[in-house]
Amino acid sequence: MAIDGDLAIRDGSQPLAGTATAIAHHGELIQGVFQGDDGHLQRGLVTLPIAGLKSVATFVLGVDKGIIVHPDHKVKAAAAARLTLDLLSVSGGGDLTLHSSIPVGHGYGSSTADVVASIRAVAAALKALLRPSSVGRLAVAAERASDAIAYDDHAVLFAQREGAVIENFGGSLPPLLLVGFKANGGAPVDTLQLSPARYDSFEIQQFGVLRALVARAVRFQDPYLLGRAASASALISQRHLPKQGFNEVVQIAEEAGACGVQVAHSGSLFGVIFDLSETDLRRKAGLVAQRAESAGFTDVEFHLVNGEGWQW
Amino acid sequence: MVAVDADYFRDLETPRLAHLSRNLVAAAFPLMKLMPARYILDRAAADGELKAGAHIVETTSGTFGMAVALLAAARGYRLTLVTASTLIDARYKARLERIGASVIALDDPRGDGNQPGRLECLHDILAREPDGFWTRQYDSPGNWLAYARLAELLIRAMGRIDCLVGCIGTGGSLCGTAWFLRTIFPHLTVFAVDTHHSILFGQPVGKRMLRGLGNSVLPKNVRHELVDEIHWVGAYPAYMAAHRLLRDHGIFMGPTSGAAALVAQWVATKHPDAQVAAIMPDEGHRHIETVYNDDWLSSLPGWPCAQVSEPNTLSIIAPRAETQWTRFVWNRRSLAEVLETQAAVKAQTSD
Repeated sequence: MAIDGDLAIRDGSQPLAGTATAIAHHGELIQGVFQGDDGHLQRGLVTLPIAGLKSVATFVLGVDKGIIVHPDHKVKAAAAARLTLDLLSVSGGGDLTLHSSIPVGHGYGSSTADVVASIRAVAAALKALLRPSSVGRLAVAAERASDAIAYDDHAVLFAQREGAVIENFGGSLPPLLLVGFKANGGAPVDTLQLSPARYDSFEIQQFGVLRALVARAVRFQDPYLLGRAASASALISQRHLPKQGFNEVVQIAEEAGACGVQVAHSGSLFGVIFDLSETDLRRKAGLVAQRAESAGFTDVEFHLVNGEGWQW
Repeated sequence: MVAVDADYFRDLETPRLAHLSRNLVAAAFPLMKLMPARYILDRAAADGELKAGAHIVETTSGTFGMAVALLAAARGYRLTLVTASTLIDARYKARLERIGASVIALDDPRGDGNQPGRLECLHDILAREPDGFWTRQYDSPGNWLAYARLAELLIRAMGRIDCLVGCIGTGGSLCGTAWFLRTIFPHLTVFAVDTHHSILFGQPVGKRMLRGLGNSVLPKNVRHELVDEIHWVGAYPAYMAAHRLLRDHGIFMGPTSGAAALVAQWVATKHPDAQVAAIMPDEGHRHIETVYNDDWLSSLPGWPCAQVSEPNTLSIIAPRAETQWTRFVWNRRSLAEVLETQAAVKAQTSD
């Protein structure tokens, strides 16, 4: 859509403002390298979104060119706002304010959530509707590598460095309950300091199999297959960014009858995945939480994925 | 939107998936060996090991040779295939030569395929040609790594997979697919399909009537520890199973695929709650004058034989007649371990 003229001073009345949110995630279901349509390998991931944590951005269009962001260290969010204004051919700047409940540095995607919320807030202020693909591309442009949170709960295999979708799985993830906690004493990981993992031929071939599992799991809403994919990807990740207590978590999950174990591939999070329609779910999930805590993992929390109003 | 693959060979190597029964899906390949051949060439080209216009060599008279020949022709490589005169017919040789392959058919006085002579010839070529490249289908890890794609296709079509049935020749397809599936589904039961007089699973070497199945040498890509159960299917039941595939399902495959389908249908019936996947490696065209020719069939001693619907379970591994189908519970053991146990069983029974 197109809006003519200088928006900030149109009507000379209320300044244009928009508020938007973006949800967090609990790391990735799978992450690795995948073959694109042209046969070339690309790094890619499937994000595990959790709607319970979010970033809220408000943008008020101003006359000056600059963007003033609060809190002022969120420079990537400011950059994303600028890029969005450029895309919408608006030369002015504005005030960007962020409120986030997402912890920083553990793999919850706090940074991308800020960036995506900012892009959406700018678009909302200008009454423009951006497609998820455009939001995703802008997010990558603003922060070099991004996750797929621009697609919310829609499952896609996302090339986090190109901001492009490698495969659209055509639906949402099935409803899941996640028992999440932190490894390595809960210390945050500086994602910008991580060098990209170098995978061997076996791992690269295996990623294709994991992608097939996710495709099947989304198509038939099958948490078991999703858990198998996540566990295998977590095991590969363990060879590149090892987490303390990995084997213990796998054992706890197995003994509780969970679908699998998922990790933040560039963070410290573990998630034990349960089918939300599983019988005796509360007891099983509670047992995992209890055992994780007594094994020394920190910040044990429950998260819903596509819970659709599910209550404890 | 119709997605057109950037590489036609990717499409050509893709099997059609056929539901042979409620819990059995078979991957029917036009030319399965394209999958490892393309993977091996792609990897070697990416690593700089295979240079533009290079000279590719391989010792094969089988479908791997045809796959490499198609790829070499389309991609501008020279190709020499070294085989034995007893293993290749004039028509297949002419098909390979038509697409630019040089075929060297060595004498085979002992009638065992003359593998040592073939290897010597191949090494001579490699020594002469500085840009020579040997695809090594018997021991290149690329041969089994390529089959991750088959695991992907099966998972997309079936989801959870409990049993895998496939032929063994070089070990690439069955062991590769089994390896990738079992990393996801540790409970996967693997049924290997071999034929009498093949040495792969402990039988003494001999003349194999069922071509394209089994082997007289042991390739590194055969990993016995992945196999739960081994079946030896004779030529006759394999031919009849191929005929039934065509009549009952409209699927025109070679006799090795018939052997795989025969075992897979038995597995699917025995395990009605299991999801069974089967690999059928090649089409029937090469067998028009034989397996699909009544005159040729009626010249076989004892043809037609009685339908075999079940294998005989062996405790001592030994070849049987071409009308027979046998099985042995392998239990993911190494070849050495099974041979040792076999020696003990034989000693006991002779006491």
